[in-house]
Order: sequence, then C-alpha cells, then structure tokens
Amino acid sequence: MTGAGFLSAVADWPRFLGVLSEGAIATVGLTIASSLAAFIFGGLIALMREARFPPLRWFALAFLEVFRNVPVLTQLFILYFGLSRLGIQLPATVAVTLGFGLNGAAVCSEIFRGSIAAVDRGQREAAQAIGMSNGLIMLSIIAPQAIRIALPALGNFCIGLLKHTSLASAAAAPELAYRAKLLVSETFRSTEIYFLAALIYFLLSLALARLVQRTEKHFDPLARAA
Amino acid sequence: MIALWLAIYPELLSAAWATIQLAAFALAIGLVLGLVIALARRSHSAMLRRAAGIYVQIFRGTPALIQLFLIYFGLAEFGVKLSSFQAAVLGLGLNTAAYMAEIYRSGIEAIARGQTEAALAIGMRPMQAMRWIVLPQAVRVVLPPIGNVMINLLKDTSVASLIAAPDLMLRAQDLSAEYFRPLEIYVMVGIVYFLMCFPLSLLLRHAERRGARSR
Repeated sequence: MTGAGFLSAVADWPRFLGVLSEGAIATVGLTIASSLAAFIFGGLIALMREARFPPLRWFALAFLEVFRNVPVLTQLFILYFGLSRLGIQLPATVAVTLGFGLNGAAVCSEIFRGSIAAVDRGQREAAQAIGMSNGLIMLSIIAPQAIRIALPALGNFCIGLLKHTSLASAAAAPELAYRAKLLVSETFRSTEIYFLAALIYFLLSLALARLVQRTEKHFDPLARAA
Repeated sequence: MIALWLAIYPELLSAAWATIQLAAFALAIGLVLGLVIALARRSHSAMLRRAAGIYVQIFRGTPALIQLFLIYFGLAEFGVKLSSFQAAVLGLGLNTAAYMAEIYRSGIEAIARGQTEAALAIGMRPMQAMRWIVLPQAVRVVLPPIGNVMINLLKDTSVASLIAAPDLMLRAQDLSAEYFRPLEIYVMVGIVYFLMCFPLSLLLRHAERRGARSR
C-alpha cells in the first residue's frame, strides 16, 4: 500500500467505526442480558442440585453435563435454526440470549455452589445457635460472603461471555461481529474492518475487567476501610 | 430419526475425526508456543517481557472468531493464502497459546521461590534450575487447567466452521441444508460433541480428585 493509498484508506475509518460502534452497543446489551439470564438460570440449577426431591437433582446434573460438554455454537444453532422446524421461530437476539444464558447457567451454578461451600461452616452453626431460620441464614449470613468469594470467577465468566457473543453473528444477531461481517461484504476491506472490530472488543473487555476489579474492591471490607 | 441417523452417521464420524485433528494440531501449537511465551514473560530482557505480555493481552482480549477472520481473510489480502483448515489451526493455536502461557506462569509461580534459590545456591544456572527443579514440579500444578483448556478447545473448534474449515459443525450445516432437518441434525451433532467431551471431563475430574487427595 502506498502512502497516499494508506491515507485514503484511513479516511474511511470514521465511517467504519460509526457502523461498528452501533454493533458494539448491541454487543454490550447482549452481554448484559445473557449474563443476567445465566445468573438467574445458574442460581436455579444450583438450588435444584440441593433439592430433596431426587429427580430435580438428576435434572440439574444432566443439564450441567449437557451444557458443559456441547459447544455453545451448536446450542445456538439448535435454538435458532432447529426450533424453527417445530414452528418456534425465535428472533435472533432472543435465541442467542437464551442460548448464552442456558450455557452460562452451567458455569455459574458451579461457581455459586463452590462459593457457598467455601463459606466457613462455623458461620452457619453460629447463626443456627442464635436461632436464625434457614432462609434468613442463607440471605443475611451465607449469601453476602459467598458473593464476595464468587466475584472473581463471575467476572471472568462475564469477560469470556463478552467475547463469545461474537458467535451470535452466525445467527445474524445484529452485534459487533455481524456488523463487521456485513461491512466486509460491502467493502471487501476485511483486514481493516476486522482489525477495528478486534480493537473495539479489546477495549470493551479491558473496560469490563476494570469494572470487575472495582466491584471486587467494593465488596472487600478491608480494601474499603483502607 | 433413526433412518436419518443411519444415513448421516458415517459423515458425522469422519467430520468428528477432522474436528479432533483440528483440536490436536491447535493444542500442539498452544502447548509449545505457550511455554515459550511463559518463559519470555520471566526473561531478563524487558522487551521480551513486554512483548509476551502484550501477546497474551491481545489474544485474551479479543474473540477467537475475530482472530480467525483476521488470519483467514486478512492474511489473504497480503498474499498469504492459507486453507481454511490451516487458518483455523493457526488461529486456534495462537489463541490457545495465550491461555496456556497464563497457566504455565501460574504453575511456575506456584513453585516456591525457595526452590529456585536452593537450586542456584548449589551452583545450578538459572536455566538448569528451571529445567530440572521448577518445571517438573510445575507440571503437576498445571495438568488440571491444561485438561480444561483441552476440553474448551475441542468445543471451540466449532467456531472454525464460520470460516468454512471442514469440521463437525460445518458438516452439520451442509447436512442440514441437504436434508432440511436442522433440529435433528444439530441435536445429533451435539450428541457427537458430547460423546467426545464428556469422557474427557470425567477423566479430568477423576484426576483432580486424586490429585487433591495425594496432596
């Protein structure tokens, strides 16, 4: 590429960035919606694994193993292309949010279980000794401590999810990777456009990592006191 | 459903073999390059340390899909024509290397400094201490996370189908266009992935439990 060619190429970048940043906003929305879905489904699965009714436990375990051992792309295709055969045509955004939510639930339920188990046993025993009910113990003693333990792992999960949402482009959900793909098929300038898309993803995950760090600090009583 | 399975299972099995090859080649790149990067991050040269750190940040901070797009479509613009399979191996390998480098690093850091100091005190050179004292112990620490990376890689190879690398997921798309029964075919492909990944997961959990007990 000559110097002048490079300059005229760069002149198009603001337009590219404009289109891509619309996609970036959709990517952020998709990440937030999918993580919320994953937290809620994950919480339910974690509860079901402790259920007294055995079939509930079996269901939770089967759910966990299936979603952990099948690629998320396959899951998205089943939800988006597969279900349409049964007459259930979910909009792309709904299908991928559901897919990432269910897939993430498997990860999050294990994080929740692990961090609840990591809270010191004495805490529960002490709360029982002063006559607290089981629900209250969970809500006001165990959960606040478990959340703090779970935060780093949940943060990593969200950062991973941000990057995984790029797979939604395969189901034509209008997020960053999909916008980049459309822009490439329109202009044929793949290197520049995918480079700019990569840059935006990089900045987004950097910002998210910062946010996770600050949240961890917020929930850490020692760091807050200092 | 059974008739469909009988019609397509030979194709699914050969595609599964392609997926395993893709994962194996990418893993080989990741294991070797990851170690090089982890060692570079501990080198005396500040330049090398920085370069390795930037590599890890870039590959962990961007989606594997975009990396594959850049390698497959981007390099072609510069006259480097890779087949989609080669691009997928290279892209997934470079990506895995960044994660492996972090795993090796945590393994090396988990081995107490005292081990290195003792090795230096008895007259070993730093490289010798690394080779004979630190790395053999670090291997034990890093095996479970490496198992995790392997399982994730096996699943992530499905992303390669989006640059038309001939793996299981691409075959699924072809078959579903041919038979027009996407639900059945994607579920079957899901089952094939499950049959590949689940035994690995069980093995890994078994090894982790044994490791936890022996310590």
